Amino acid sequence: MSDHPHAPEVHLASVGTALPGDPVDNAELARVLGANEEWIEMFIGTRTRHFARDLKTGTVRWSLADLCAQAAERALAAADVDPGDLDFVVLGTATPDTLMPATVNNVVDLLGLDQVPTFQLQSGCAGAVQALSLGRTLIASGEYRTGLVIGGDVCSKHLDVDRDLTKAAPSDLVNFVLFGDGAGAAVLTDEPRGARVVLRHVLNRFTGLGRTPGQVIEWFGLADRHDDRQALTEDYKAIEEHVPVMAVEILWELLGELDWSRQEVDYILPPQLSGRMTRKITEQLNVPTAVEISCVADTGNNGNALPFLQIERLLEKMSDGQKALAVAIESSKWIKAGFALEKI
Amino acid sequence: MDQIAIVGLDCRFPGAPDAHAYWELLMRSGDGIRNVPAQRWDAADFHSPTPAQGRANTTEGGFIDAPDAFDNEFFTISPREAAAMDPQQRLLLQCAWRAVEDAGIAPKHLAGTSTGVYVGIMGNEWAQLHLTDYDRVSAQVGSGNGYCMTANRVSYHLDLKGPSLAVDTACSSSLVAVHLAGNALLSGECDYAIAAGVNVALTPALSIFYNQAGLSAPDGRCKPFSAAADGIGRGEGVGAVVLRRLKDALADGQQVYAVIRGSAVNQDGRSNGITAPNRWSQQEVIGAAYRRAGIAPDQVDFTEGHGTGTVLGDMMEVSALGHHHAGRAARPMALGSVKGNFGHTEGAAGIAGLIKVALSLHHRIVPASRFAADENERLDLRGKGLRLLKAPLRLPRGTSVAGLSSFGMGGTNAHAVLESAPAARPTAAEDDRPRGIGHALYTLTAPSPQALRRNLHAQADALGARRAPVGPVGWTSHRVKSGHRHRFAISAPDTATLVQRLRAAAADPALCAALTGQAGTTPRTAFLFTGQGSQYPRMTAGLYQDAPLYRHFLDEADGALRPHTGRSVRDLVLSGEESVHLTRWAQPALFAVGYALGRTLQELGVQPSLLLGHSVGEYAAACLAGVFPLDAAARLITARGALMQQLPDGGGMLAVLAGRDELAAHLQDEPEVTVAVVNGPRATVLSGTTTALNRVAQSCERDHLRTRMLRVSHAFHSPLMDPMLDDFAEIAREVGGAVPQLPLYSTLHGRLLDGEAMDADYWVAHIRRPVLFADAFTAAGAAAPSHTVEVGPSPLLSSLTRRLPPPAGGIRPVATAPVRAADSGGQDLADTVAELYRGGLDPRWDTLYPARDQRPYRLGPYAFNDEHRYWTQGPARRPGAAPPAAPAAPAPPAPSAQDSAVLVLERPAPTDPVTETALTALAQVGGYEVSELGPLLRLYEDLGFDSVMVMELKKRLEERLPALAALTVQDLLPRLASVGDLVAFLREYCAPAPDSTQERTA
Repeated sequence: MSDHPHAPEVHLASVGTALPGDPVDNAELARVLGANEEWIEMFIGTRTRHFARDLKTGTVRWSLADLCAQAAERALAAADVDPGDLDFVVLGTATPDTLMPATVNNVVDLLGLDQVPTFQLQSGCAGAVQALSLGRTLIASGEYRTGLVIGGDVCSKHLDVDRDLTKAAPSDLVNFVLFGDGAGAAVLTDEPRGARVVLRHVLNRFTGLGRTPGQVIEWFGLADRHDDRQALTEDYKAIEEHVPVMAVEILWELLGELDWSRQEVDYILPPQLSGRMTRKITEQLNVPTAVEISCVADTGNNGNALPFLQIERLLEKMSDGQKALAVAIESSKWIKAGFALEKI
Repeated sequence: MDQIAIVGLDCRFPGAPDAHAYWELLMRSGDGIRNVPAQRWDAADFHSPTPAQGRANTTEGGFIDAPDAFDNEFFTISPREAAAMDPQQRLLLQCAWRAVEDAGIAPKHLAGTSTGVYVGIMGNEWAQLHLTDYDRVSAQVGSGNGYCMTANRVSYHLDLKGPSLAVDTACSSSLVAVHLAGNALLSGECDYAIAAGVNVALTPALSIFYNQAGLSAPDGRCKPFSAAADGIGRGEGVGAVVLRRLKDALADGQQVYAVIRGSAVNQDGRSNGITAPNRWSQQEVIGAAYRRAGIAPDQVDFTEGHGTGTVLGDMMEVSALGHHHAGRAARPMALGSVKGNFGHTEGAAGIAGLIKVALSLHHRIVPASRFAADENERLDLRGKGLRLLKAPLRLPRGTSVAGLSSFGMGGTNAHAVLESAPAARPTAAEDDRPRGIGHALYTLTAPSPQALRRNLHAQADALGARRAPVGPVGWTSHRVKSGHRHRFAISAPDTATLVQRLRAAAADPALCAALTGQAGTTPRTAFLFTGQGSQYPRMTAGLYQDAPLYRHFLDEADGALRPHTGRSVRDLVLSGEESVHLTRWAQPALFAVGYALGRTLQELGVQPSLLLGHSVGEYAAACLAGVFPLDAAARLITARGALMQQLPDGGGMLAVLAGRDELAAHLQDEPEVTVAVVNGPRATVLSGTTTALNRVAQSCERDHLRTRMLRVSHAFHSPLMDPMLDDFAEIAREVGGAVPQLPLYSTLHGRLLDGEAMDADYWVAHIRRPVLFADAFTAAGAAAPSHTVEVGPSPLLSSLTRRLPPPAGGIRPVATAPVRAADSGGQDLADTVAELYRGGLDPRWDTLYPARDQRPYRLGPYAFNDEHRYWTQGPARRPGAAPPAAPAAPAPPAPSAQDSAVLVLERPAPTDPVTETALTALAQVGGYEVSELGPLLRLYEDLGFDSVMVMELKKRLEERLPALAALTVQDLLPRLASVGDLVAFLREYCAPAPDSTQERTA
């Protein structure tokens, strides 16, 4: 991708995140699901996660729109940007509250905004990066100056607490222990502001021609709601095999595009599948001089919130002149994604 | 030049019952026109599609809903007076009140100030209907009519002492009122001004006039600048804005909708005809406003035109604007008019335009103008540098400038230039004073429980509509929703929870009553400091985490203790170490917690009327009472704990459910056991060696006295303490101790300290002698505290005091505890402050919230009662027309079963003739039902009596009770406090002479 020579630089001014309720640890999750706590520790490597529904009763406590609005408010406050100054809002999610209205519009309503362009990108783990890509393009066009980019997912829609998992197969069980809920948001501007980080490059590419999806989430309507299909299926073998390879390719593609050397990178934000998978991928990325920024072991895999949770941790550490690379992969239809940040 | 800020507003227009709905109507290009309601006039009766004398060509217009509803009780206006008042006065009163609230101030805060009131009004139809029925002209009808009284009515009921005038320049009245209000502010005549406009159509007179003048649109709709424009449609409405000098508003951190940069007013003079619009004068007034505002025409982004939609009027108006904009370099100026939505609101037209422009600048979008799509090509707008608002116009970031025109039928023209409010940065005090308790409080006051619940509902709805920050919501509620008799308070960690709690309270009268107190008292709080035994690992950790204020004082206490303890007592407590139970740590830890809680409460505005500390608790009490400074207290309490810790083991304490006298027999042969604590008439704690205590326990059990061995390391308050006394006394003498500066009830003496110093001797005896808690607390009852506040990590004393007999007055103080249990955080502290607020306390709100939360948030305005309806006898009809089949005036709603039950309970028992006469007279003069007159209702405050009504009351009483003939007004006046007072006085006055048979045999 080559930017227009006169296009304004696009800046990330702030990040805000929202995790619902108190963290749920493995002991509690194991108790509710009848799963083995040790197995979660060992094979998933995720310590805690947050759920938007009450784990005991199954009642929904927060909608995706609630979490996104909360994250957005925090991002706006952190950048000292008035909501009225937003020229657009983009949301990336795989788990909208309803198919219509698109959740982004309810988020904007909660923020008290009207007459603002909105976009919603239906996507899994790459949705947040796609949202950043769109936000960056909009501002680079010169037509928009300030925008809000949001990513969030409420995976606990599929967390059926009434199901007895004592005898479930690991491939089934993993769906229950991997995921979490949350949202994150970033304010993008056409001038340095707040955190003063330049969004140098964003990669978003479909690479799944003819390939079987690694992950499928179904949705049901009146006609097929009684179908016996599993709502969520994942091909963990394929994911374990392909994601690390893709991650390495993404890393080198980003470095090449930016003309950065591996040693120049101060921070690496690897894909956040699970505590264990992320460790494995980071080893293969092999950027020993860079500090790893991960969160999935504490937050669970909450989909499109992850990149924002990572950026939030990154901003705490990053100092002037430092560079960071993020790698994300959506294993549904094998989407490569990533972005580069530099603090000025 | 100074500018004027619009800081608050409220309005009601056809199809839009409030300002929020008004904006929605504008943004969806809504139509507020409908058929003439039967309540006004018989439209068919006056209608003729072809020109005819005495007829209108339309049966439609812009009418507001429920113009007859009025909350007379809120303004303490009697039903009779309300019924006599022009509805324009009633609508204005409610609207002005809500606009002031919207400005972020309690209307009572403006009482007595020089705030000005300027009301634009041109309709006087109520008076035309009522002042011509000569037999019915009463004092109330006189003062209720004539638009001369409208502004004065607002000034009177809000107690505003600045200029107060009704302005009539026909259709430009309310923009001229705004102009005058702005000038008064700029000249320093007043610091706040309410500018308003109102129009209610009661007769078809103006519709007929417009028709006869060829100006009336057959469909009752103005179609501004449209090819379809065919005349005026009449509209109604009321609107009010609160104005201030911009610099004052910004200095106060007040929210500003928009700024009025400049305005101008002129006259056509001798033009083509007195009612003909004059292009040259309009052009001149626009130019004058631009000059006054200091702007060039091409800076103006949009103009809210007068836009009546008459062919001539539209042409004149665009020509006048074209003079200024034809050559502009910028985009053509956008033009529209709200008259397309609900017609020409006449006296209220200017304020309708002003509020629309202010909201447009505020929301940074200008609504589309209805009927603009079908532009009148003959106006040649393009050639004049103008374009119609065919779609909403998004205003760019930064400052936008707008114009606003309003032209009067008699030739008085007004124009104003507005611009966006400057970006406000919160100017909250940024000193380093600790603030915030991690929880918000929400308070709301209302004149009656019903009004309270109605407003809780309204607030819940408004807050539930979108995400609102709970801190600014709470902070604003204290400022704006104050001043009425019933005080509601509730705490909440976030807005979603707050909305839930408000709804719950609104739905449940019993719950609401429990969360409501009555104004008029100030709480007298007794601080009870808990003693040893109440400590536990991580005590107050939740509060420490939630409340920066508490954190500050616990840190302060920790800092004072550390030189003596050698390690951080705070860290020991918060990390959850079990060693907090060791005497050497328990005592300084409890002191730190007691001190920090006490100081936190004081900073929140809770000042103790008296203090009482149970044993070790007395140290923090003494420190707060000024006996010794924090450092000295820290040294002494640390020494006390450490020296006690060094005493040999083998001592213990035994709680017995028995009085100290009962125990005398059991202690007779036990010199090693003494009474250590007297907690109540049947709650005593003994102290001594463990072996001796075991014997006493057995002996007590034999007498069926229940005992319990306490988990303590030593025999406190006993001779076993003697070995440490000398060392302690030495330090105590160095530390010293003064006479407490606040009333302190000593558990050493079991009474109030009377000028006695709490010095070394006191503290030595305090170790050795029993704790007379029951005596001290009972003695404190004489001071009649209204509330107890338990200052400690668990509410042990609160439960002890419940077992003590009630004080002489019979009313136990309300027990509160800022820390209720191990998991207590900011909520329990907030609940304590809420309880004290209900009891009449006005807390220091600026300490309760962090600086970032101390900013205004626009809460929903007061929701008035709309159950009482007041209207004319019948709608206007053509002479000789047949009367309608059914009466149009709605009947007053029947009181609910619950209400009448309350009234029945309050009414005096079986009535005698004098009582009945008195109640009848009161009812007649006030316009009440006799059944509504409870004895506790106050004549002036609740029933809205004034001197005129008192004179009438006296006259009516005299007619029926000849015994009153000699009674003078001066005699009567002091006896008019309440209905009950008056009745009692009259019964006494009219009672038969004391020598009557009845009296003697009674």
